[in-house]
Amino acid sequence: MDNTSSPGILQRGALIYYVGSVTFAAGIALLAVGTAFITISRIHYGSEPEKIILSVISTGVGTTLILTGINMMMKQTRYGYYIVGASAFISLLALLIFTSNYPHNWFYPLISYVLTLYIAGFLALLGNAFANVILWMIEGKPEAVVGREREIKIYTDEEIERDIEEATRKSIELSASELKFKEPGVEEVKLGKTFRETRGNITKVKDDIGEAKSLRKTINPGERMKSGSVEVESVSRNLGEILRKGAVQKGRFGKIKEEIKDEMKKFYSSIRVTRNR
Amino acid sequence: MAKGLDIGTMNIICSEREEEDVVFTQQRNAFLELDSSDLTETMLDSAKVLYIERDERIYVLGEDAFKFATIFGKDARRPMRYGIISPKEKDAIPMIKLIVERVLGEPGYRNEVLCISSPGEPIDLDMNPLYHKKMMEALARRMAYETHVIDEGLGVIYSELSDYNFTGLGISMGAGLTNVTLAYLATPVMSFSIGRGGDWIDEQVSITTGLPKEHVCATKEKGFKLGLEVEYGSADGALSIYYDALMTYVIKNLNRKLAEVTPPKVEFPVALAGGSTLPDGFLKMFERKLREAELQIDISKIRLAKEPLYSVARGCLIAARTHEGEEIGSGGETEEGAG
Ligand SMILES: Nc1ncnc2c1ncn2[C@@H]1O[C@H](COP(=O)(O)OP(=O)(O)OP(=O)(O)O)[C@@H](O)[C@H]1O
Ligand SMILES: [Mg+2]
Repeated sequence: MDNTSSPGILQRGALIYYVGSVTFAAGIALLAVGTAFITISRIHYGSEPEKIILSVISTGVGTTLILTGINMMMKQTRYGYYIVGASAFISLLALLIFTSNYPHNWFYPLISYVLTLYIAGFLALLGNAFANVILWMIEGKPEAVVGREREIKIYTDEEIERDIEEATRKSIELSASELKFKEPGVEEVKLGKTFRETRGNITKVKDDIGEAKSLRKTINPGERMKSGSVEVESVSRNLGEILRKGAVQKGRFGKIKEEIKDEMKKFYSSIRVTRNR
Repeated sequence: MAKGLDIGTMNIICSEREEEDVVFTQQRNAFLELDSSDLTETMLDSAKVLYIERDERIYVLGEDAFKFATIFGKDARRPMRYGIISPKEKDAIPMIKLIVERVLGEPGYRNEVLCISSPGEPIDLDMNPLYHKKMMEALARRMAYETHVIDEGLGVIYSELSDYNFTGLGISMGAGLTNVTLAYLATPVMSFSIGRGGDWIDEQVSITTGLPKEHVCATKEKGFKLGLEVEYGSADGALSIYYDALMTYVIKNLNRKLAEVTPPKVEFPVALAGGSTLPDGFLKMFERKLREAELQIDISKIRLAKEPLYSVARGCLIAARTHEGEEIGSGGETEEGAG
């Protein structure tokens, strides 16, 4: 899911996050009910088949829903949603086969097939979630949506157009930056004898160009730090600074807005990093 | 130690730090083609003239091109027009390359940071500065400089508006172009160029008075006073009129462009730089016109650069040193005094 590229995708991003949390909550509830049912009705090997089916279904479906919900709340890799869908389907299929075959046909080898199917789905869901977490830690910028999506607003066509224009321009500039020009025909040029002696008219001005230092400060106020709470502190200091300076400004205008948004992003992400540790 | 380079239509200026000083090396962006029979090499060598020989022809480069042009009654040619490599001048690229290499000199060490100025997107000319920018970048890179490019107007802001946290309007009135940048906390909000400058004044005055352009330009640079009282038929008078027209045109376009952005509601100081701001009375006249114009932004102070001709080059040096500092580390204090 590429965030920020168009309103449609953004809305879908938020939607899937909410559906995911509902699924997750439903799973928890189902699992709790199932467990309670198992305890209350004292399920054992010889219990009535209906009760056993009911308890297996509720815990089994509950577990699958929990994992599916978690996966839906996460930023997925390219094929993530397919993996999640397929795994959930496999698990549920296993449960379905169980329901229709228990207790009359519930013998070897069907038991092991069904169990394998369920475990496969379960592990795939777990593995996918785990892989996402790892990826997210490596990237160092948590994209799991918590609270983020809400802050992203729908862009107007104008803004999108401008962003696209900006991006294309940048890519053109970048594409050419590696360009090397062949030496124009100066090979057969003979340089004048004193050519290397004169550089031009020289003017010296006493000047310590202290501006370089203030420019550096203006461009990156507050030093960048590596990780943890220190980063939060420095980022929030930046944010505060920018907001304070930006407060004078009313309407939307590109760069500053981008800057604030960027800082917001950094701010939120670093908070989450710290909390998760 | 980092260098700055302002490649202008008329002047190519390199800036670098040398102990307590900033040193500006300047060369005219011009050349003159002569037959080898016109002059002997020994003459040129003994006069320490910057020249090259190619296909039996002699090319005098830089400042000397103008001197020899008057002597031989020829026109010096200029590799650039309107702030970029002239598409009409077939020898432009090799000539500009030679001049730039000369003015810039070898880097002190591999990947010395260099910042070059480039014109902003023009609003009234059908041209694109990208090619020019890329050429100059590639040229400097080839010489083993680590090259960055900034807009000319931003260079003025870096050089002149540090007391205002690099917030303000930077205007560079050069020969081919007038470059304008509006920045907020060192970040450009708007940047563009207008296809009129000193050359335009020379041309217009030359047309109206019938005097040759070179003559008009010389009169202009000898120190005339901009004023409202003008004599009929004098070059000074015509110059004043066209300066007035140029300012009006610049301010009108500035206001038009400002309507397209939403700048923050703060007061912006204005810094003026470039060779065309040098005449006496320029600041006064510009300030009056700017205040009368009721711009879309609030203007606080209007000031002239300390060294109008070198302001952009100095801004480039500041940008280069900032980049250099970033690479060395955020320590910031470490790069001083290396000589
Ligand atoms: N004393 C002076 N009075 C008036 N004009 C001057 C004076 N000295 C130089 N100029 C004019 O300033 C212009 C050159 O200024 P500058 O070196 O800033 O331009 P440039 O950077 O080469 O050009 P551009 O920025 O347009 O590419 C020329 O038009 C020149 O005639
Ligand atoms: Mg210039």
